Amino acid sequence: MDLTKRLFINIIPGTTFLDKLTGKTKIRLFFLLVLILIATWDMRILAPVCLIGIIGLISIRPNPKTVMGLTVFIVLVNLFNLFLIWVVTPDYGASIVGGSTLLLRLTDRYIITAETLWYFLTRFTKFMATFFVSLTFIQCITPSEMAAGLYANGISYKISTIVSIAFRYIPEIARDFSDIKISMQARGMELDSRKTSLWTRLKQNVMILAPLIIVSFDRVGNIADAMDLRGFGRGKKRTYYAEHEDTKGDKIVAVINVLLILAFVAILIGRIFFPGTYQVWAPWINA
Amino acid sequence: METNNKKSIGKMLIGTWNTRTIVAVAIGVALFGVLMVYGGIKVFTNTSLTSAMVVVAVVAAMFGPLPAAVTAGLGNVLADLIGGWGFWFDWSIGNFVLGFFTGLIPIFGARIEDGIFTVKHAIWYVVCVLVGNILAFGVVTPILTYVFYSSELTITWMQAFSAIISDGIVLIVVGLPLLFFLANRNAKKNNLVKED
Repeated sequence: MDLTKRLFINIIPGTTFLDKLTGKTKIRLFFLLVLILIATWDMRILAPVCLIGIIGLISIRPNPKTVMGLTVFIVLVNLFNLFLIWVVTPDYGASIVGGSTLLLRLTDRYIITAETLWYFLTRFTKFMATFFVSLTFIQCITPSEMAAGLYANGISYKISTIVSIAFRYIPEIARDFSDIKISMQARGMELDSRKTSLWTRLKQNVMILAPLIIVSFDRVGNIADAMDLRGFGRGKKRTYYAEHEDTKGDKIVAVINVLLILAFVAILIGRIFFPGTYQVWAPWINA
Repeated sequence: METNNKKSIGKMLIGTWNTRTIVAVAIGVALFGVLMVYGGIKVFTNTSLTSAMVVVAVVAAMFGPLPAAVTAGLGNVLADLIGGWGFWFDWSIGNFVLGFFTGLIPIFGARIEDGIFTVKHAIWYVVCVLVGNILAFGVVTPILTYVFYSSELTITWMQAFSAIISDGIVLIVVGLPLLFFLANRNAKKNNLVKED
């Protein structure tokens, strides 16, 4: 898939419920969901959050082609990672879920157990949930809203600006990258990975990387001068055009956020004071 | 091209956070994030021979430790955001530490912007990269992995090992020639001095 399409970001605010929230609320909601996703390995929490992510993503009506392409790519990456874990530690489930119910024996070392599969399913759900939540977040926020939202959450506006410029700059990189790649191919570079060795690919990586880095950092002066001319960094505080007053939706999500904080605290208390023997919960194992 | 402003070590560690630095760090973060996701060749699960660290070397040479550290740390968070493999703040903090160590070279007198980068600086650069790498992924990340995720450390150790090797290779084999090239290019560019 084309890199420029994959690295798509939103610059014009949309019109759906999630789009209309303030940057502040979007960032809080996203951050809390990510914290919960990091903190737990429990399918009973992961599956609903994954569902929320999918519903959120559908609700902002993204370009279906982009989303499908990305989703397929991420699914493949995650499956490949799971496969690598299985290659290194075939009986991983025994240590992390607690038990090894043999389902299939390929060789003495390579076995497939129900617990390992359950762990893989949990892990897969966890990462797909994170992916859907992240994608929804990226697709429903604009760079300016991101800066405004971070600033409203008490982060220094210089850091907020770094994040928003970085976010805004991603499509530029994709564009530069494909320009450089095309011009390299025009000079006869073979970029098909099936036809080149690892070492040649490494060298080619560098041949594309060097111009990309130089072109990008050459722009620093121009962008910084433009910002200086507009008075960036003069005051201690600043306001944002993108930040607006709380809407009705913000008030609803604020309540949800409080509930999420309580859920997160509950998960933490559970993990610190009542740690199970095994990290990953499975329905048929009583830890 | 005489830059005679002797800054204190503390100030050099933090760096001057003017608009130029902010924009450079921002672009560094974006490059790091994108390269980490799309510019790598897979080595081991969730670690690849990523070219992203080169970006940190460039920011480090131009702006010093803290900007380089922020580039690596925030860049990793951005990569997690667009990569879809979940958020691993233990690794982001590890990258932050490595970035900080890579950024120590201006303290030894290297100034890429003015074209000053000699063999002596290159040796210090290699030392900083090696020490930073081992400290970041050999000590900081495994500890944080244990604290944050309390997960099985075998895989983390293997990931850490491959990260140390691949980041070391990228930073030295690719980063070093690039730094020499940039220094050379800046030295030749012109003799105009920008007034602040």
